Amino acid sequence: MKGLWNIFSKGLVLENPIFVLALSLCPALAVTTSVVNALTMGLTVTFVISTNNLVVSIVRNLVNPKVRVPIYITSIATIVTVAELVLQAFFPLLYKDLGIYLSLVVVFAIILARAEVFASKNKPLPSFIDGFGMGCGFTLAMLIIGAIREVFGNGTILGYQVMWSSYQPALIMILAPGAFILIGYLVAATKILSEYIEKVKAEKGEAI
Amino acid sequence: MTEHNQDNNSILKIALNLAGACIISGIIIATVYYLTHDIAKQKQVELNTLALKSLVTEADQYTPIEGKTGWYTATQNGKVIAYIVPTESKGYGGTIKMLVAVGPDNKVMKYTILDAKETPGLGDKASRAPFNAQFAGKTSANLKVTKDASNKDDIQAISGATITSRAVTLAVKTAVDEVSNLTKGGK
Repeated sequence: MKGLWNIFSKGLVLENPIFVLALSLCPALAVTTSVVNALTMGLTVTFVISTNNLVVSIVRNLVNPKVRVPIYITSIATIVTVAELVLQAFFPLLYKDLGIYLSLVVVFAIILARAEVFASKNKPLPSFIDGFGMGCGFTLAMLIIGAIREVFGNGTILGYQVMWSSYQPALIMILAPGAFILIGYLVAATKILSEYIEKVKAEKGEAI
Repeated sequence: MTEHNQDNNSILKIALNLAGACIISGIIIATVYYLTHDIAKQKQVELNTLALKSLVTEADQYTPIEGKTGWYTATQNGKVIAYIVPTESKGYGGTIKMLVAVGPDNKVMKYTILDAKETPGLGDKASRAPFNAQFAGKTSANLKVTKDASNKDDIQAISGATITSRAVTLAVKTAVDEVSNLTKGGK
């Protein structure tokens, strides 16, 4: 059980997809202008990455290593297409909001990376957990970026005004350069945090 | 020779492996499509009606106008209270598709954006108040964008999204002009 927890939790901070692995920075810039967008994207990715890890892990012994990457891409594309079709039929409003994000998800580096690095070498359950943890880490990072950008760039959070009324929104935060600068700082912050975690772990190790 | 054969064999194997994966994926997608596409179509129609209803809430009937695809008249107790016109224009991130409701007096009632790829946080404000509220009651002459905050007659641009503001305003203006042509022709 502890093993599974470790697999899950490493995606949150120590191997956070955006802040540490620096994968999928493109969506992190593009769709984090508001908390709602960031959350939607994060949840979509979490779903696709967990499902894909599960599928890849189940078929890992059937796949010829020479064509593994195309097969993983096919698997991701199938999951996304099926999700799109189902949403379109049963939740058209949600589909309207998610549509553009869903099609983008196919090409996310993080999903392919997890399939290649983890799911192709591990059993289904740990693979699913790994995908879920990575997805949660991705969502967390997106939420942090989204929240900061929405507060400073628009003076709101989830659409509600949080800054004083005379606050002049900093336009740069909504635009891509602001996101780049912000992600830079957040990467530094994550670095400090993970160094601290390592230190605490090392000290504990000594105590035992 | 045997090595050569093995190579051939392995290439074939690889190809079959990938082809197999694609066939399975194709079958899955085809099945899901077959199962969902009727429902999706039906939902799409419902969604369209919903879009019409949200534009002109008072109307009890929507009739398509002959010869104009996507045009509707909204009637209440047999009296025409609005024309609903699909229109589009080029925004910052591509085409903005909208539905505009225009009253019989050629004044804008309301519009809804169906499809747009404007910058989230900037251009997508065009679908919300206070920007969209400015259009109610405007005639064709006042449908131009201004950056002068004291000018209350025209449309105030969204700060940071002038291109989107102009595109939306232009699309609404086109719709109003088309409706005034239609009503003139009909009379």
